Amino acid sequence: MFEKVLLKNAEKPDVHGIEAYEAAGGYQALAKVVREFSPDDLIQLVKDSNLKGRGGAGFPTGVKWGFVPKDSDKPKYLCCNADESEPGTFKDRVIMEGDPHMMLEGMALASYAIGAEVAYLYIRGEYVLCIERLETALDEAYGKGYLGRDILGSGFNLDIHMHVGAGAYICGEETAMLESIEGRRGEPKLKPPFPAVAGLYECPTVINNVETLACVPHIVTRGAEWFRGIGPEKSPGPKLYCLSGHVQKPGVYELPMGISLRELVDDHAGGARPGHKIKAVIPGGVSAPMIPESGLDVSMDFESLTAIDTMLGSAGVIVLDDGDCIVRVAKNINEFFHEESCGKCTPCREGLDWTDKILHRLEAGEGRQGDLEQLDFLCGSIFGNSFCALGDGAAWALKAAITQFRDEFVQHVEEGRCPYH
Amino acid sequence: MPVPLGGPLKWKTDSANIMAKITIDGNTHDVADGTLILEVALEQGIDIPTFCYMARLEPLASCRMCLVEIEGQGKLQPSCATPVADGMVVRTDTSLVADTRQSMLELLLANHPLDCPVCDKSGECELQDQVFEYGAGEARFHDQKRVFYSKDIDLNPVIIFNAQRCIQCQRCVRICEEVVGAVALGTAEKGMDTKVTGFENSLAGCDHCGNCIEVCPVGALMSTPYRYKARPWDNKETDTICPYCGTGCHLSISVRDGQLSRVRSKYETGVNGETLCVKGRFGIDFIDGDNRLRTPLVRKEGALVGVSWEEAAAFIADRAEGAVEKGGLGAGGLASPRLNNESLYLFQKLMRTAFRTNSIDSSSRFSAADPKAYQSLEGLFGGLYARRSLHQVLEADCILILGATVTDETPVTEYMVRGAVRSRGNKLFIASARPSRLDSEAISSLRFVPGAEAYLLSALLNGIEGAGKTFANIGALKKSLRKAAKTPPPEFGEFLEKAGTALGAASTVTLLIGADLLRSPGAAAALSMARGLGRVLEALGKRAEVQFLFDRPNQMGAWELGGLPGLLPGWRPVGDAAARATFEEAWGTSLPADYGADFRRMLERSEAGGLDVLYVAGGDPLLSYPDGNLVESALIKTGLLIVQDAFMTGTAHLADVVLPAATFAEEAGTFTNNEGKVQELRPIRRPAFESKPNAEIFALVAEALGRDLGPVSADAVFDEIARLVPSYRGLSSNGLGDDGSYSRPFAEGNGGDLDDPPLALPRRTKGLELVTGDSMFHSGYLSGNSQILGELSAEAYVEMNPDDAAGLELADGAGVVVRSSQGEMEARLKLNKRFPGGVVYVPENFADARLNRLLKHGEYPCPVEVLRG
Repeated sequence: MFEKVLLKNAEKPDVHGIEAYEAAGGYQALAKVVREFSPDDLIQLVKDSNLKGRGGAGFPTGVKWGFVPKDSDKPKYLCCNADESEPGTFKDRVIMEGDPHMMLEGMALASYAIGAEVAYLYIRGEYVLCIERLETALDEAYGKGYLGRDILGSGFNLDIHMHVGAGAYICGEETAMLESIEGRRGEPKLKPPFPAVAGLYECPTVINNVETLACVPHIVTRGAEWFRGIGPEKSPGPKLYCLSGHVQKPGVYELPMGISLRELVDDHAGGARPGHKIKAVIPGGVSAPMIPESGLDVSMDFESLTAIDTMLGSAGVIVLDDGDCIVRVAKNINEFFHEESCGKCTPCREGLDWTDKILHRLEAGEGRQGDLEQLDFLCGSIFGNSFCALGDGAAWALKAAITQFRDEFVQHVEEGRCPYH
Repeated sequence: MPVPLGGPLKWKTDSANIMAKITIDGNTHDVADGTLILEVALEQGIDIPTFCYMARLEPLASCRMCLVEIEGQGKLQPSCATPVADGMVVRTDTSLVADTRQSMLELLLANHPLDCPVCDKSGECELQDQVFEYGAGEARFHDQKRVFYSKDIDLNPVIIFNAQRCIQCQRCVRICEEVVGAVALGTAEKGMDTKVTGFENSLAGCDHCGNCIEVCPVGALMSTPYRYKARPWDNKETDTICPYCGTGCHLSISVRDGQLSRVRSKYETGVNGETLCVKGRFGIDFIDGDNRLRTPLVRKEGALVGVSWEEAAAFIADRAEGAVEKGGLGAGGLASPRLNNESLYLFQKLMRTAFRTNSIDSSSRFSAADPKAYQSLEGLFGGLYARRSLHQVLEADCILILGATVTDETPVTEYMVRGAVRSRGNKLFIASARPSRLDSEAISSLRFVPGAEAYLLSALLNGIEGAGKTFANIGALKKSLRKAAKTPPPEFGEFLEKAGTALGAASTVTLLIGADLLRSPGAAAALSMARGLGRVLEALGKRAEVQFLFDRPNQMGAWELGGLPGLLPGWRPVGDAAARATFEEAWGTSLPADYGADFRRMLERSEAGGLDVLYVAGGDPLLSYPDGNLVESALIKTGLLIVQDAFMTGTAHLADVVLPAATFAEEAGTFTNNEGKVQELRPIRRPAFESKPNAEIFALVAEALGRDLGPVSADAVFDEIARLVPSYRGLSSNGLGDDGSYSRPFAEGNGGDLDDPPLALPRRTKGLELVTGDSMFHSGYLSGNSQILGELSAEAYVEMNPDDAAGLELADGAGVVVRSSQGEMEARLKLNKRFPGGVVYVPENFADARLNRLLKHGEYPCPVEVLRG
């Protein structure tokens, strides 16, 4: 049985207060670091652990921290990306609701490493309970001297400001999030310059996901070796998986990185509903292309999933079974992206409007000859040409559905109706 | 297909020295590292289509039309936002690139209404052009198109919006924010619902400059006055120069069937590029104004009646005879700095040779009239004045703006200052009476009452580290400066400290001086101190430059070409026999040697019954010159009042003879702008009705008086100027080029002794003090003839600080009376919380208000009371 790390407290009732967190060894990592570590020591430790960003891109966290220029006289900022909005993803919520101090400690450690004295916590507005718990947690942390001036007598200062998002999915994209914090329209910005050089208020900025930050105290406490020993060499560590869809036991599971998708779905989440067979699984939130049942023996890590042309993403695993219409699934997912496209670039804005119209017609039984070819053309036009990953993800996921389940799409056109509904 | 992009590299600086090798479509080029791929391609004549790129704006990379292949990159990259790197290999000519362009166009057309037959933009639409060049031949999208509104939205009286046609390039939003600084436009909603709009579908805080219309690639933002007026191919378009301020923007004026249809600005040309201000873009309709003069008028039995040109000339010959015999101070002439160089030159030639007087003025609004002020001006123009592009001048490390409300008076200059400060991070300081939007770009802004400029400059000079050591170099300044400004008033403290530090640290400094400074009685001292500051900075090894921010298009030309009582063209004193000899030889007649009267003295003389002839060529002193009551009485008492203008002005109503003149747009000639650049005016049509070009009228009057002014074609006069006036030497009428040519400093040297700096600030009155100047929507009285500008800003107002108003128990919008020792006027109150206490502003542009009846000669600002109306 895998020893839970990130959920070690969260799954117990009422442990979100600071006393419970301290009792379980909380804030010891911070105390250790401010006494014994230089910022560079901490960066090196995280580099050694090979922790990869849990927000979806899987970029090595220590390397990202190392990009922050040391000689800049500008203030540095840490932003915690808690705008968890990818459909099928609810792992950060579990941490923030159940064990908010673990993330706050991670933020303090990351801020120390990069030399930030101000950190922003950008949180999805719909996460009302998380916001309440974090407000309390922030008060508690300030009260105990884990935040504020001269933390634990070390001379290290840190203020954390919580910024509540207003409901736009795009604000989870890191540059759009920075724009939003600055009070501007939430739209992705050009890179370069990368945030590490010129991010928030054009100052060096690091953006880390909630789960990523929550790993950091444990790396400090238990060492890089321990962390690297969990899961595959290239993407080690504990991982939260969000299971949803037509599976018997949906929920958040903490397991090692690199567990097989089949094991995750069948053994941990209880497999398909009685009398149904799994048709496909989306492994990493709706931006990730679906995998047909035959491909479920893949290892759940960044590299293995990329190798089969999909991605670990946010590890939002959505299970589809033989009762699910792929056209309808594709339509729903595309509808989400269409709604959430910020409108900045041509392919994403216009392309997803067009795919949305076609998919709606197909599912309503009003498909026409040529529709599939148009969808092919549109996926090709959007993918690789959109400004940020939103358009790419939408087209990539749609293209996979059309490629792997083309027969279902053809059937919709030829029969003039949805065979499932 | 040429895509208008803002003139490649025009707005970029050449700071990058490191070169990179880049291969585009097989050819290798050496370019400055950091240049954008798109810009390199344009330079090389390789066409890359784009909608969202504009050279002056921050790259957005949103339209995805300009995607190119870069070797080693997995995805196509936006060439408009990707800087070159050494060894980069780029392809713009592959089938993938072509297919992608075609796809993007197909996507853009999917929801575009394709209502080209009723769209104003049709025929010059960038979407049309690009679809024609790069698009697919057919459309595949057959679903319902997006519809925002069934009717177009009037965002304001001059801007109308069709959201359906918008392709989201955001040029309008960005130019409004990045260049104009108004931030009136923004983007609402997201995804397919994204629409460009202002707050609540109106444009609060909009300048009405219409630059958003200019940069819109499609027919989304449209000009209401131009709506449904013409197709591009119906227009006859002529490039000329704006008649409003001294920025000297290029205008492209379109005429259809002899009537003005629209004014545009072009990406490729002019100091302004694609931008204009509201006056330039919408205020040119004055050329078709109701108030245009149709025929010459002569006063008969008390009334002005229409006559032929011959009769008008005969009338002048008859009535002016006596004055011409006497010469000297019995005659006088006032010319407008809105006239072109050739007309101004001919006017002084006419006054000197036919009326035999040196009483010539062209500065009716300025109190700078004392000879000392002109000496100081001469000193500035002689050496420190930068006769080069404002763009270059604005590259200075430190920019100091003094006595100007740039946002209102010279808006396009303001855009350039904003651009320079934002892109280069150079340090801007503003010291002015009125607040403006530009303050937010400045390191420090100081509000002060006009008159304190000289004091401020001397205090500033004193604060520069190391300046003390150089005092010995500038003689008389030394002792006084030490005494002066030892303890500046507290409100000056922060500004002086910050500006002093910045001036000390800068290696290049630009001083921009506005018209406000020239109104003040202390103008001579202030100009002298400006020169002193410049010289001290130079002595410290810095480059110091000055430019004026004149609110008139040809103030510089007016002064340099002899529109002054004591100076021949080229700033040479009338008492200088050698200078006179040059012109006497060229003109074949002797010239008067006595210093003439300035306009103030002309009026005083007239009031005393001693002015036989007053010739007013342009301008409306009855409404604009201080001491309104004296002006009226003096004009009535003038023996023969000749008014030459395109409009029936207030002054013209008092005239004995009125001569209908062409507007700037109906005669050839040149303006010399604030950069000292001589730019060609090209007539867009023949003069309206029976009006004639100003030059021809001067020749006609000369002829009536028995003088021959010689050839009066613009070319011939310009070549005469180029022969006789040193700063124009070497220029020729046919060699000015599309972008004009710079005049030259006429003299070297430091321009003589400096005045002692003032030891204290001028004493302020206890009550309110009135300042004036151009508003954003008006320029002098010319703009009053524009119907559109009249709609946008119809009446005078009194602007003041809410605290001052509260003390007087006055509310925003209340009718108030402004009363000075001279007179009073009524207007509505407009509160502005950024306005300094103790100061009120009334725009000088409204004929009905007769603001000049409140003003007193030699006193500015004007002490006033503001009372409930």
